[in-house]
Amino acid sequence: MDITTFLKQIEASGFATWIRDSLYAFPLIESCHVVGLTMVFGTIAIMDLRLLGIASVERPFTRVKNDILKWTWLAFALTVTTGLLMFITNAGVYFHNTQFRFKMALIALSGINMLVFELTAGRSVGRWSSDRIAPRAGRIAGALSLALWIGVIFLGRWVGFTSTRHLEPSQEINLDNIFQ
Amino acid sequence: MEHFAQWLAQTDVSVAIQTHLWVIPAIQSVHIVAIGVVLSSVLMVDLRIFGYAGRDLTMPQTVRRFGSWLWGALGVLLITGIVMITGEPVRELMSLSFWLKMMQLAIGIALALMFQRALRHNAQRWDHAVSARVKFLAIVTLIVWLSIIFLGRLIAYDHVWGSWSMRPLE
Repeated sequence: MDITTFLKQIEASGFATWIRDSLYAFPLIESCHVVGLTMVFGTIAIMDLRLLGIASVERPFTRVKNDILKWTWLAFALTVTTGLLMFITNAGVYFHNTQFRFKMALIALSGINMLVFELTAGRSVGRWSSDRIAPRAGRIAGALSLALWIGVIFLGRWVGFTSTRHLEPSQEINLDNIFQ
Repeated sequence: MEHFAQWLAQTDVSVAIQTHLWVIPAIQSVHIVAIGVVLSSVLMVDLRIFGYAGRDLTMPQTVRRFGSWLWGALGVLLITGIVMITGEPVRELMSLSFWLKMMQLAIGIALALMFQRALRHNAQRWDHAVSARVKFLAIVTLIVWLSIIFLGRLIAYDHVWGSWSMRPLE
């Protein structure tokens, strides 16, 4: 089965149809997506700023991370779930949307960045955890992570402006479909 | 309000924002980044109040760590918010979600100020045990900020309010 057929099938599924046809489902799912992604970004930023020696510098990095990372993953799960729900309502359009593809690529890069950090500076964390600033590999990971996630947010908003939405109320000023 | 929105939409600065199509998405993105800082700051203070995070910090230390970021990010939200209203006055001002959001925002700011004031008077006591009243207010505060995020997104979908909407579906 090729990808186009597959995307058409999930778009036509009962669940996707229900979300599309409901006046409330998509706006509420999208709102939960924003709650999730702002929590992902904000909590990751706390760890990145600690690595960069900008905030929470009096606390050991491991303590900051142990406090926060579980909330980041929880928020990430909410964001991925709601993201998938939005994706299935218009799978074909999102799949071929350039901004969407770049966004997925940046999320993958953030994951790779995290893995690289764990394999480099993360291995010797016991030695520098209490330092006010992380060693170079940690600082690079922190800066990259901040930049990548801000990029993800910009691209995500851009997807909203470049993918057709069902049910567009008429307005005097409507910039939502401006790039089409 | 509709007259004001239509007048604002014809001002030079509004027209400039409308004609530069990248401005609104870019400003919205900055707005979301700043919301991330606000929500996470509120969350971290709440987690400290409930003892789920930052237990090695005192309450005043926790509020010092996140308070300045909260107010700084709120400043960014105010500025980017004003740009969005100027660029799309009818969309923003003629929406029930927007006005409910402003109401919740006033409550959220009042709660934060109240909390900081109360903390100054009770710093030592709160480090041992936080009263049930403070815990209750901490949860209310988090709910208020979550509702602000929902209402903010619902500005794009004001029809969810049905006949209460200031911009019902045609």
